[in-house]
Amino acid sequence: MTVHDVDLVIVGAGPSGLYGAYCAGFRGMSVAVIDSLPEPGGQISALYPEKDIFDVAGFPAVKGQRLVDELVAQAAQADPLLLLGESACELLHDEEGVEVVTDVGTRVRAKAMLLTGGIGTFTPRELPVGEEYLGRGLRYFVRRLDEVAGHDVVVVGGGDSAVDWALALEPLARSVTLVHRRPLFRAHERSVATLHASSVRVLTPYEVAEIGGDPLVGEVVVEKVKEGDRVTLPAQTVVAALGFIADLGPVQKWGLELRKRHVLVDRSMRTNLPRVFAAGDISDYDGKVRLISVGFGEAAAAVNNLAPLVNPALGTTPGHSSDAA
Amino acid sequence: MVYVVTDACVDVQDRSCVEECPVDCIYEGDRMMYIHPDECVDCGRCEPACPVMSIFHEEDLPAEATRFAEINAEFFADLGSPGGARKVGRTGSDHPAAVPPGGGS
Repeated sequence: MTVHDVDLVIVGAGPSGLYGAYCAGFRGMSVAVIDSLPEPGGQISALYPEKDIFDVAGFPAVKGQRLVDELVAQAAQADPLLLLGESACELLHDEEGVEVVTDVGTRVRAKAMLLTGGIGTFTPRELPVGEEYLGRGLRYFVRRLDEVAGHDVVVVGGGDSAVDWALALEPLARSVTLVHRRPLFRAHERSVATLHASSVRVLTPYEVAEIGGDPLVGEVVVEKVKEGDRVTLPAQTVVAALGFIADLGPVQKWGLELRKRHVLVDRSMRTNLPRVFAAGDISDYDGKVRLISVGFGEAAAAVNNLAPLVNPALGTTPGHSSDAA
Repeated sequence: MVYVVTDACVDVQDRSCVEECPVDCIYEGDRMMYIHPDECVDCGRCEPACPVMSIFHEEDLPAEATRFAEINAEFFADLGSPGGARKVGRTGSDHPAAVPPGGGS
């Protein structure tokens, strides 16, 4: 079990959390940032990395991923400990501080916590059938493509991630079949064109009716929507790329005062729990506006208001960053 | 501010929107889908996913469909806020306004 000791633990590596990390570094705090996703960026990376964002101050337009990259670079000035791919599960607190325990047992002790958990933890949407094969051939990600080299692969889904997985696996799998329950894909036109020009077998409109094999996946039976014709596909790997669902999850059990799946804060972004602050989409108060730009302001407000808890010698006024060069 | 499903969805129920929704807030009525106004996080992913363009941002609803903001909300009068459509499944019921555009049944 790993134990880390920092001044501030931030839960959620979306825009508010990353900016909060920078702010904390500017005040001389040591910071750890925890996020359940394997990459920083929160909703931006998970939902719209390729979209232009027009309402971030100072950027007439910025691509989602570019904004994340810049935020990561800015946060790096705080030299944060990044715990990615780990979900914050438990929150313990005592007189001196808080302790967060993640799903893999990492413990982070801190003098204060900033919760920037957005809309919650992203988990992959389950396949309606065959969920019992998870870990036995059914998977949501392929971490290293060579894990499925030589396999007959069935990819299920109709969005960018399904099409991208199919194309990425095509060169090294024995066969790739892409199954989608509608005739049209919701992916970039260019990837769909590449898909149709590739050796990937495309079955639409089909749904997965059954997965078979013992104990590992051996075949997938797909059924034509409305018509009922069935096709049995040999398969050792099924990649379910049906998108993600976010859920507040364990945060709801920490004793935080909630309002409609958001955490109530006061004007200094303080929650009802000692040493626990919240900012960004997860926080709520009368008049709340859920925008990235508002999240930035809240993160700065939270970090500077919690500074005296981390170090009593610190005031809430950060001074001007332009004087610090 | 939230997204709203309109009557263009009636008897179509393509459900591509459901796959896009990151908070699982699009519920399945008998004849059309409904977006939960308190659960929607306003991300906008459902709108382009709809093959019949039945989904609009509340503020962009066409004049003839503005009442659907309330219709979506009213659908949940009994259901409350279940916090996820998957747990609920097909509700088998509809708001009385769930008829195809232009009337009929």
